[in-house]
Order: sequence, then C-alpha cells, then structure tokens
Amino acid sequence: MRSPASVSRSRTSRKRFAVTAVACALVAGVTAGCGSSGGSSSSSSSGTIHILVYGDTGNTVEKQIVDTFNKTSKVKAVLDTIPGANYQTKLQTIINTAQAPDVFFNWGGGSIAPFVKSGLLMPLDSFIAADPQLKSDFLPSVFNTAVIDGKSYGVPMRGTQPVLLFDNKKVLADAGITPPATWDQLLADVQTLKAKGKTPIALGGGDQWPTLMWFEYLYDRVAGPGLFEKALGGDTSAWASADSQKALGMLKQLVDAGAFGTNYDSVKFTDGGSPALLAKGKAAFELMGSWEYATQKSANPDFTKNDLGYSNFPTIAGGAGNAADVVGNTNNFYSVLKNTKHPDAVAQFLKLMYSDEFVKAQLGIGNLPTTTNTPQFLSTAADPAYDTYQYNLVKQAPSFQLSWDQAYPPSATTAMHQAVQQFVDGKLDAAGFIKAMQGLPTS
Amino acid sequence: MTSIIQQLLAKSARREPPTTGSRGDPGGRSPGYRSTAGSAAGADRRRAVRSGVGATRPGLAWAVPATVFFTLFAIVPLVLVAVLSFTSWNGIGTPKLIGLSNWSALWHDPVMLKSLWLSALLTTLGVVVQTPISILLGVWAAGHQRNRAVLAAVYFVPLLLSVTAVSVLWRALLDPNFGIPSDAGWLFGDGNLLGTQSGSIGVLAFVGAWQWTPLHTLIYQGGARAVPQVLYDAAAIDGAGTVRQFFHITLPQLRNTVITSMVLMVVGGLTTFDTVLILTQGGPGTDTTISAYYMYQQGFLSFDFGGASAIALVLVVVATLLSLLMVRLTGYDRMQSTAEGL
Repeated sequence: MRSPASVSRSRTSRKRFAVTAVACALVAGVTAGCGSSGGSSSSSSSGTIHILVYGDTGNTVEKQIVDTFNKTSKVKAVLDTIPGANYQTKLQTIINTAQAPDVFFNWGGGSIAPFVKSGLLMPLDSFIAADPQLKSDFLPSVFNTAVIDGKSYGVPMRGTQPVLLFDNKKVLADAGITPPATWDQLLADVQTLKAKGKTPIALGGGDQWPTLMWFEYLYDRVAGPGLFEKALGGDTSAWASADSQKALGMLKQLVDAGAFGTNYDSVKFTDGGSPALLAKGKAAFELMGSWEYATQKSANPDFTKNDLGYSNFPTIAGGAGNAADVVGNTNNFYSVLKNTKHPDAVAQFLKLMYSDEFVKAQLGIGNLPTTTNTPQFLSTAADPAYDTYQYNLVKQAPSFQLSWDQAYPPSATTAMHQAVQQFVDGKLDAAGFIKAMQGLPTS
Repeated sequence: MTSIIQQLLAKSARREPPTTGSRGDPGGRSPGYRSTAGSAAGADRRRAVRSGVGATRPGLAWAVPATVFFTLFAIVPLVLVAVLSFTSWNGIGTPKLIGLSNWSALWHDPVMLKSLWLSALLTTLGVVVQTPISILLGVWAAGHQRNRAVLAAVYFVPLLLSVTAVSVLWRALLDPNFGIPSDAGWLFGDGNLLGTQSGSIGVLAFVGAWQWTPLHTLIYQGGARAVPQVLYDAAAIDGAGTVRQFFHITLPQLRNTVITSMVLMVVGGLTTFDTVLILTQGGPGTDTTISAYYMYQQGFLSFDFGGASAIALVLVVVATLLSLLMVRLTGYDRMQSTAEGL
C-alpha cells in the first residue's frame, strides 16, 4: 500500500498501533493454544486415562464398562466420543499431540498400521504375557486383525460384522429357487430371476464399498486368503496372477449377465435404496455386512421377521479358498498409545472386554461380541437364531478377511473404491484394474 | 472466494472517490462522482467536495479488526498451505520437506487436469442455466401485484434450505427404483442418472440451479425495480411493446446486476463442494471429481495433506486469475452507473 504524501504524524503512529495490535492478537492466539494443550496433559497426569471411541448408539455399553472400571480403579477412565464419519480424520489429527487419548477405538488392520509405523502404539504382548486371557478369550480369526508384524496392537471391543448373502425368501420361492450353494447355481438363479422380471441382486454401487464386497469374496473363493495378504504385504505381482485374472473374469461374467441390473451406480445402501429393493421384492439377493439385519429390522420389521433369509457366500468349483471363509469387519478394537502414563490401569481396563458383563451388554444392543464366553449368553440376544448362525460362521471360519478398504491404510481407500466401481462399470478392463490395485500404497 | 472479494474491494477502493462526497453535494440527488461526463463546473464542485472530506477520512485504526481477522484466517493459512505443498505429511508427526514432488505429481496427474475441466464445465453450466431463468423471473417478480409477491416468496424457499438438505432431498427424489425416474421411464430410461458422467453432471447442474436461481432472481428483482420508470414511459410513448422494452431498456439497465450475479455464480461454481459430496462423491469413478472435491479427497480421505495443499494453491491461483479476468472484461472495475445521462 502506498501512503499519500500528506500522511500526518498521528496517522503513522496509528499504523504502528495497528501492527502492534496484530502482533498481540497473534501472540494471544498462540498462547491460548499452548494453554489448552497444557491443561489437557496435566489432567492426564493426575490419574485419568482417556478412552476415545466412535460416537454412536453403541456408546451406552462403552459408558457402562467405563463406569464399572471406575468403581474399583484408582486411576479413573474418561470416555470421549467423536461422532460419525469424521472419526478417522479427527483421530489422525490428534493422535500425535498432547490431546491424544490413552486408548482409542479403531478397525484394526490398515486403520492403525500408519500409527504403528510411526511408533505411536504400544504392543500389547507384555499385557498378554501377564494375562493370557487377553488373547485366548477371543476368537483367533478376529483377534489377528489387529496383529501387525507379529505383534498384537488391539483388543476386540464391539461386535463382529461378517458379510453374508441376504435374500428375500418370498421372491426365491416364487422363482422356485433356493439360496445358491455354488457359483454356477448363482449364475443360473440370475437367469431365472431375470426371466421373472426381478433384479437378481441389489447393489448399492453409489456407495462403492458394497461393490467391493463382491471382489473380496470372489478373490477369497478363487485364490484363498493368501493372494490378498501377499499383495497387502507389498508383493503387488499377486494382483497380476492367474487367480486374480480368473476372479475378475468371473465377476465380469456376473455383471454382464445382468445380475445387478443396469442402474446400480445410482443406488446406495446408505440412504436405504438397496435394502428397499430387497425388502420390497424388486430384488432377490443382497451381499451385505451383518448390519443388514438391523437395517431391515428398523425399516421393514415384517419383512425381516417373515422373509429375510441369509446364507454364506457360494463355493466356487476348483477354487483354492475354503468355502467356510468369511470376509467383513472382524470387530472394532481398542489400541493403546505408547506414551500412556498409566499402562497398568489400561491393562486392567482391557480385561473388561472379555467379561460377562461386557458380553451381555453388547448382545443387549444387538452387537455380537467375539469372546469365547459369548455362546453361553446367545440365548439372551435379541435375535438368538441370527446371532448363533453368525457366531458359528465366524468361529468355524479358517480365515476371516478384513474388508480390503480397512486392511489397506486409509490413504488407499479412495483409489481402491474408484477402481472397483470403474471395473464393474466397464470403464476399466482387468489390466487397468490390476494396475490400479498395484498402485495402491500399502503402508 | 476471499481472493475475489478482496480483488473487488481493492479495485473499487482504488477507483472510487470517497462515498462521503455525496454529503457535501448540495443537490443530494445525483452525487458528482456518478457522472463521468462531468462539466467544468461539476469538476470544480467535485474538487471542493473532496478537499472538504479528506480531513474526516477514517484512520487506519478502523481497519485493524478486519486486518487481524484477515491475517489470521486467510493470509496465515494461505502461507502455511503454500509451505505444506512442498512437504509430505499424513497428519501424524512432522511434515517432511520433499521439494517439488507434489507439484510434479500434480502436473502429471490426469485427475487434476480433468477436475479443472469439470469445475469449469459445472461453473459454465451454472451460469448458462441460471442467468436466463433468473433474469426472466426477477424481472417478472419486480412487478408490484400481490400475487407476484406471494409467488416470489414461495419461490424463494429453496434458498432457505441448507445445501446439504437440498442434496439429500434430490438424492432421494432421483432414486432410480423408488424416485421420480421409476415413474417416468420414458424420460429417464433405466434411471441410472448418477451412474453416468453426463447424467451426474446434469443432476449437479440441475440441483445447483434449483437451489441458487432464487438468490439471483432476488438480485435481478432488485435491479429491475431500480430501473427508472421514466424510461419505460418514454418507450411506451415511442410505441415500444413489452418485449422491446425488455430488450432495449431492462436488459441494458441490468448490465451491472448481470455482472454482480455472474461473479457470484462463478465464485459459487468454483467452490461447489457439498452437492458433489452428497450426490455423487466425485463418481462414477472420477467423472465428477471437481477440483474442490479432489482437494478434500486427497487431504481428508487419503491423508495426503501435501498433495491436497498443492491442489488448494492451484485453485487459489485459478480463481484469482478468473476474477481478475472477469473484472477486466466486464468493466466492473470502473463502477459506471447505468443511470448516466438521466
């Protein structure tokens, strides 16, 4: 800014005042920032541990467990919640600051891998050595999700969510078919259902992750869980293998057969679009996480009671994968920050995650815990038959593959979802999809 | 957005004599500065006015609050973003300086180039669709009949809803199986509106128009009401009908209003985010990934804050260049009155 020639003395001094004011404001802002962070760190040294969880209706149980813990512990636990979809972003922002929690909710796998790599998390092996139940009381296929480089970093703290093939029993009966046991039956069913004027399979392609579930199961059935583990481990040649090509070819065949109709990319699960297709009998199947049941129960209680069927994903003849393998979200986990000031209290807190009280409370709100003592309480669950089916499925599964978008670090999610959508849309061919997957960051 | 406003403010401040000048104008009706074809007498009066006002011009201290806020919330973050764009940072730990890697990656990134084109396309579509509709509606609503007031108030409602609510609403209305497309197959085919690029761009442009046309209608209504009635009376005496009056009086008189409205549309177009986030999430694939959404994706979904900062800076530069261009091309910076010669 050029000042006019007639600038008076008083104006210059005013300008100086302005500059001082700006400087003061900046300093004030900085000190305020320092002040708040100082306050938080001093509070954690005065005998509290902060437990950070994803904020939703499940928090009632977390609150209850924290209260139970505080009854006997000298170090008090404080439950903090971050609501909804911003959880991972906010966690990433605070985890390396003075505001970081002592214990936090996560999805295992890729959701904590960057933190492990940055040396922020405490391996729980010493806790487990002191209390072996901290590992042995959980189903191994679930517990392993939070094992990174041979060390345990998480303890399961909510319910398991395997992906199942849901169906509308009435539509299947009208078409004279039963849930498919094999891939070939599924292909035949698609033709039968199309002839009846139904969309064979409801797919919320607009959300992208429902489409990914088809990839996860096909790769598992064709190649077994090893292919994905290899690729995630950094050996990207796995994506170009013959099994990978075969799985992609089979998916393409299913899409080209019209199994998902033509407008699946305009349909979402999250706004109720694809569940409504199934409930209203416009579609026969939907591949979805176990939460489909709760979703249908709240939106269409009669349908859920009478006509909602579920089965495991069909087997594929000649495939290397075990027919009992499942994919999905194994569970949510509590992980521990390395620089927590009260590791002993944290260890005591984690022990509550296999307590009877915890299991009963989780079953009460519709979650299915993955502890070894869960079966004895299954009869108290809201839907005993459904929970028992799931529990046995997960317990007997030789492999429980964590959803690909949770197994990879968050930095890979967007590119993975786009590749999945573009392949199913025919905008990427198999080679293009393989290239996209090979380009994903694995750490 | 801030940069454009700054630009406009700076321009107008530089060119425009102190507005307090009208206070010294004995006539009061037509302040001297509004007439560019001033006579010698007018110029004298203006000079007198200006020298009288110079002493009471507000000092710099008055600008302190605005300066502090602007520095803290615009300049400082902008500088930090510029620094971040030369680093690799995932939000954990300290940013690592990596030189120009983010920039060269961006340069070779097909999605970035595509996103700029998509931003430009959506902005253009917004202007092309909304301008004619809102001019016509605004001029119509400028009448004084009671039914117009009621209809205009009803028509104003979309503007009162949040962009998020509007997007969620249209997302549900356009559901291919249970929404409007399922009942109008002759128009929408299989209803796969959001599964194709043209369909989803069309939806974004439509929802944007539905939401923002009322605002521009309001602007044009105000502009049309400010057109002096005497012009219409004169034209009527000369035998001009409604259509000729519209094209030869209303439209020319609305020139500055058109520019104001367009600047708002372009700014709105370039900063569009919520509709994309809710309606398409940049999809199908990357077919509606506009620059602002791409920045969000890189920063807050992929935690690549360095790369996201580079995209943000590109957006700032593009928006500044565009606003400069618009200000130059339209003559907005001269702030001429359309009431000239009256």
